[in-house]
Amino acid sequence: MNKNQIDELIAKYNEGLADPSEIHQLELLIESGEVELTRLRELTKFDESIDKFKEPVASKKLDQNFYDMLSRETSRSKQFDFASWFSFESLIPKLSVAVVLLVLGFVGGTVLQKNSGGGEVRELAQEVSGLKEMMMISMLEKESATDRLKAVSLSEEIKGPSKKVTEALFKTLNSDPSVNVRLAALDALQSYAKSPTVREGLVRAIAQQDSPLVQVAMAELMAAMQVKSSVKELKKIMEQKSMPKEVKQRIEESIKVLI
Amino acid sequence: MEALADNYLMAKVRDGDPEKLGLLYERYKRPLLGFFMGMVRDKELGEDLVQNTFVRILKYKHLFRGDGDFRTWMFHIARNVKNDHFRKNKITHEKVEKWEDKIKDEGNLMLEWQSEDEQRMLAIAMDKLPEDKREILLLSKYHEKKYKEIGEILGCTEGTVKVKVFRALQDLKAIYHQVEKMM
Repeated sequence: MNKNQIDELIAKYNEGLADPSEIHQLELLIESGEVELTRLRELTKFDESIDKFKEPVASKKLDQNFYDMLSRETSRSKQFDFASWFSFESLIPKLSVAVVLLVLGFVGGTVLQKNSGGGEVRELAQEVSGLKEMMMISMLEKESATDRLKAVSLSEEIKGPSKKVTEALFKTLNSDPSVNVRLAALDALQSYAKSPTVREGLVRAIAQQDSPLVQVAMAELMAAMQVKSSVKELKKIMEQKSMPKEVKQRIEESIKVLI
Repeated sequence: MEALADNYLMAKVRDGDPEKLGLLYERYKRPLLGFFMGMVRDKELGEDLVQNTFVRILKYKHLFRGDGDFRTWMFHIARNVKNDHFRKNKITHEKVEKWEDKIKDEGNLMLEWQSEDEQRMLAIAMDKLPEDKREILLLSKYHEKKYKEIGEILGCTEGTVKVKVFRALQDLKAIYHQVEKMM
């Protein structure tokens, strides 16, 4: 089929006038790559709507089950150390969660004893948010990278760009020993990226990174967000002699998008 | 970049640092849950299947070569988990002839997450598609229309994937219009 015939066939399909044999012809053209699905207007509309489906939120139970399993796997992969298993440091995360839950229960009970008008419920919601902030900040100090990862994911549950939360996330991005945790902090900060303060913080954070993975992630984020003020910092890190060629290339591509 | 980081992280898991799986879990738990809930229509079961997927990722971590996309490898495992569940529970492919009767069926989890009327009707229509057509549309969504990678998951060519998507969207459109008339 020539180009004109293909265009006619597509137009006919888009108007809902194609018969079964023409639809079969269209399928052959789709399979061979001569026709892209995006040219079929009505179907593209449905495809785009499916893309807009909201993703379900995982329950705490799923998170708990996963991290319990990971914890077991991590323990298995390390040598068993009797002293560290019973050390005070390993009990601190569990004790802090227990204390937080106790306080939460006390606060919740006190508030719910009064008339449950909208004001008391809002107050409780604020208390809960404040406690989550405290828990997140405390868990970011833990020795285990798994605990610090959990802490970063807690930030997604705290409404609004809280200054304490963003400061804690920046501190993590700039100084956490685990690349894994730094990448998680960068992911979390993306959701606050509408704030000019956060965008400036992200630009300043570029110079703090020595992991190629984090450097590339930051470059690509700056390009996606069109933060042109990041170009100077990105060019500076490219001067590092130790930077791998592939990483330099990726950062160069991001700079091209920004200029 | 995410493909680079994902592969790096999974390679670390394979080489004796299982903690790195945590970041991959945080990145993919929701897309995986969306995929499973779209297929099995039960949140609790969907979460079990997400957990099973990560259990298998750990079990078969030594098979991760790192030359392809981690996401493709993960969805390959997820699909096997789904198929094993269906096989174990002897769930057969649904027949499409009586889908009109099912429109009044209220049990539809994708529906719960959608807020606009059109999205809700679309969720109902998706739910009424046969399993294989629903699956191809969900894979297309969660794989950002990378048909070549989807072909690797399904064991077919990129062209075949595009035709499957075309046929699934056609059916979806037909069911959607029926749902629209009945609402």
